[in-house]
Amino acid sequence: MPDVTITVDGVTIQVPAGTNVVDAARLANVAIPVFCYHPRMQPVGMCRMCLVQIGTPRLDPATRQPLLDAAGKPVIAMMPKLQTGCTTPVSEGMVINTVSEEVQFAQRGVLEFLLTSHPLDCPVCDKGGECPLQNLTMQWGPGNSRFDYNDKVHFEKPVPLGDLILLDRERCILCSRCVRFQDELADDPVLGFDHRGRNWMIISRSDPPFASKFSGNTTDICPVGALTSSDFRFRARVWELNPTPAVCTLCPVGCNMSLDMRHEHLMRVMPRENAAVNDIWLCDKGRYGHRFIEHPDRLTTPLVRRGEELVEASWDEALQLVAERLAAIQSRHGGQAIAGLAAPRLSNEDLYLFQKLVREQLESNNLDHGIGAPGEPAPDELGALLAVGSGTNLMQLGAGTAVLVLGADPEEEAPLYVLRLRAIRQRGGQLIVANLRPTKLERSATSALRYRAGGELALLHGLLYELERAEGAARPSIKTSGLDQLRRTLRGLTSAQAAEHAGVSSAALAATARTIREAENLIIIYGAEARSAGPAVVEALGALLVLSGKAGRANSGLIALLPGGNSRGALDLGLRPDARPGYAPLARPGLGARELWPAIQEGRVRALWLAGLDPAASLPAARTAIAAAEFVVVQDLFLTESARLADVVLPAASVAERDGTYTNAERRVQRSRQARSPLGQSRPDWQIVAGVAQALAELTISSGAAPAASARRGPAVASAPMGWDYLNVAEVAAEIAERVPGYAGASYAALDATGSPGPWGRQVNEAIYYDGTNYENTEGVGIKLPSLVEDGKTSVSLAPRAVPAVADERPLLLLAQPLAYGGDPLLRGSKLAAHVPAPYVALSSVDAEKLNIKPGDMVRLDSAAGSLSLPARVVSDLPPGVALAPADLPGAALAAVQTGPRTRVSLVKIVTG
Amino acid sequence: MLGELFKGLGTTLRYIFKQPVTVQYPEVKRPVRERFRGRHELKRFADGMERCIGCSLCAAACPADAILVVPAENDPEHPRSHGERYAATYEINMLRCIFCGYCEDACPTNAIVLEHQYELSFYDRRAAIYTKEMLLVPPEQGHGEPPPILSQLQRRPSPPALIDL
Repeated sequence: MPDVTITVDGVTIQVPAGTNVVDAARLANVAIPVFCYHPRMQPVGMCRMCLVQIGTPRLDPATRQPLLDAAGKPVIAMMPKLQTGCTTPVSEGMVINTVSEEVQFAQRGVLEFLLTSHPLDCPVCDKGGECPLQNLTMQWGPGNSRFDYNDKVHFEKPVPLGDLILLDRERCILCSRCVRFQDELADDPVLGFDHRGRNWMIISRSDPPFASKFSGNTTDICPVGALTSSDFRFRARVWELNPTPAVCTLCPVGCNMSLDMRHEHLMRVMPRENAAVNDIWLCDKGRYGHRFIEHPDRLTTPLVRRGEELVEASWDEALQLVAERLAAIQSRHGGQAIAGLAAPRLSNEDLYLFQKLVREQLESNNLDHGIGAPGEPAPDELGALLAVGSGTNLMQLGAGTAVLVLGADPEEEAPLYVLRLRAIRQRGGQLIVANLRPTKLERSATSALRYRAGGELALLHGLLYELERAEGAARPSIKTSGLDQLRRTLRGLTSAQAAEHAGVSSAALAATARTIREAENLIIIYGAEARSAGPAVVEALGALLVLSGKAGRANSGLIALLPGGNSRGALDLGLRPDARPGYAPLARPGLGARELWPAIQEGRVRALWLAGLDPAASLPAARTAIAAAEFVVVQDLFLTESARLADVVLPAASVAERDGTYTNAERRVQRSRQARSPLGQSRPDWQIVAGVAQALAELTISSGAAPAASARRGPAVASAPMGWDYLNVAEVAAEIAERVPGYAGASYAALDATGSPGPWGRQVNEAIYYDGTNYENTEGVGIKLPSLVEDGKTSVSLAPRAVPAVADERPLLLLAQPLAYGGDPLLRGSKLAAHVPAPYVALSSVDAEKLNIKPGDMVRLDSAAGSLSLPARVVSDLPPGVALAPADLPGAALAAVQTGPRTRVSLVKIVTG
Repeated sequence: MLGELFKGLGTTLRYIFKQPVTVQYPEVKRPVRERFRGRHELKRFADGMERCIGCSLCAAACPADAILVVPAENDPEHPRSHGERYAATYEINMLRCIFCGYCEDACPTNAIVLEHQYELSFYDRRAAIYTKEMLLVPPEQGHGEPPPILSQLQRRPSPPALIDL
């Protein structure tokens, strides 16, 4: 946009046209106080705090040129009344006066009026200390009031808006920031105004009340203490908090957050600004879901099995025992009799050392980062191969960007992406949402496609066909193979055919292809639903990106929504049986989690090491296998079902108690820091692994055998005798940067850089926008790793994969439904535990009518694998032939019926009595 | 030389007939000034409610970081203080305290008062930490009246409305 020249309080600056006066003044280091205006939302001019004097050059009516005075300067016509700065866009030659007596009189008046109905209970208010009303009153306020203190209107307080957010009507200044946040940004229009005059108040209009996954953000942007969270209410004063920069590990977005500690206790979780990841927001799961850190059930001491019981032991004893037993099993049965599974929420350092120990020291490739449930899809490689390129910044994307969300429910899988995608859409980007069932993001889409179940591949082939057919089709910008095979497949198609198979109109198909082709940037987001359709669908998405000619560039690429906070890191670091760190395939792959359970039963695998995973809780096969295994080590936060069956249980430190790095869905590595000392004797996972490795090494030395593992090690780590005496986690990170392809440069020093904040960064008047809203990011925004194809050597195979036909005649397709508030054991102890639904299976109203099922009826699901009884829910807009059930809710092991990520089931109503 | 000796003894003789300035502490205690700053007390309203609302402003004002306040939300059925908030923990480390009285100045409800008790000695450091139970005066000894606005409203008003001006 062209720049316009304006003068703010005598300072002449150039600002982009279209900027409003408040933001423009900010660029001139002039603070205009605001309450209702927020830079992320549309201005409404409700609070009248930003009143300023504005003048524009007087134009000659004849020539339309500015009139000049005797000195040759333009004559400025001041507007007769004060204007609200937030709703006034700048224009050429505009003169703005923010400090005149008239403006100050207005500001003092507005504040005096706001304070007439404000209770001034700052001493008990949770916002006190970071309250814009306090700060603005101090800076711009009148100093005293002409109104009688006892005339204040009092309301009963507090009124719950939901179970997480409470409203104090006395404090509310009715700026509508919360209402607008829910309407404009979160697309959960659940808040509104009610009554009028003195009784004007915010209400929640939804059932259950305030049903939004972003409700906590309203307490941040509230410029007074009207909205408080039940999670933090009266726990501490904000100036007593010790904010520690951390990264959320509850979903793949990797939001930057701040753990606000007081005396080793977590008081609240706040967002930390990172324009590339979470902007200034945080979803409720991240904000309220971290109470597990202080849960009384946390493990505090190592436990060792003596007979039937697990008894407390010292670390030395436990580590020694683990090393001895693992070494014994290794020498008797070889390394392949040992297997290790690590949770995708552990940090990169934990995962790297875990796989290093199992692979290099114990010489086993039996590694995985899942539990081998039948519903787990194949490991996702393309999300790294064709990841969004280095330099990607979601904040800068708008017009010219197309985002295709296929087979994903971001609200449940990666809540914060909803805000980011909606923001891209609002800045003029195209948001295409393709799903087989309705999702909430669909409402925000520029175009929504609803394909038939099993029609995703046809849809993608249709899009590929349209792309190929188009005039001047883009050439792949990266190395590919199998393009000819793909073209051969596409040649056999027609657009109408593909559209029919996919269950969408061919016009919609062509329009989508055109949008993708014409866009400058293309981001493709896919989630559980797309991945459940098989690797062919993900590969077709990759082909779509490649054929659009946008692969390997900044702001273009794939984003895979994988379960767990660090699944991408687990894949990058080789926590899988068939590849080393950096996606280097292995000639002789080991056993994945799914093959592991029968292998343990058969005695081929004898020792199992579980880091942060609890297969026994949801997988009956795993439970019997763990019980049958010769030796089981579990390192976890809690005494899980699997831990109860283990021989040694090692207490692990939580994310708040250790340093570490995490790789998010778009492959950004971010650093999280230690907020408190580890609970009890618990240790960070990487230290536990290193401790076992050292115990193993000592064992080798004392038994006089040649240290086989260290003999192979290159000279790079020769200074460390056994390669396992890491002083701190940064040394592990340095080794990752050195040894793992793609992670070069991800050193702790580099991760701590924040870069230049740009015009949206903190400015002189930051308090106006940001006070009490979030924390400035001074501790590093992380590093966006390049996608693998950016090295120019890696080639992507486009050859279409044959899709195996399913020979199962059962009428319904059962899909596992990802839920944000699902069975994640980390939600324990938090207010969100009440939001975890009871198990259910959701049916379309058509199917429900056909089978005579009413909501709440118990139904039995039968598949080739088994059967499961669940209460039914009837969802009107679910497509017929599809049944949805949350995968990991406690009390409903979906694994009992699943034959794969997608299962054909038949459904019977259970008649009782 | 002899003259100086008599001069000195003369002074002694003169003081024999005067009231002694020595106080036989601890049997006799010297009265302190009205504004003497001794051991803190947490006061109550006449209705027995605690004045302290757990706002932590005393801790914020304390230059010696001697005060620890952990607030909590009042149970509406059995409130401990007027308003929504009370101090679940209130501790003053008397070894750290410098008796400056800033906490008194900062208190919006006049809950904390430095009283005239000055006999503070401990056998160990732990004993120097005065807990809320030790600081809070018994209900019958509290001072101050709840302001009329409270009885007018018959509900839980904003705590600063309780300031007795």
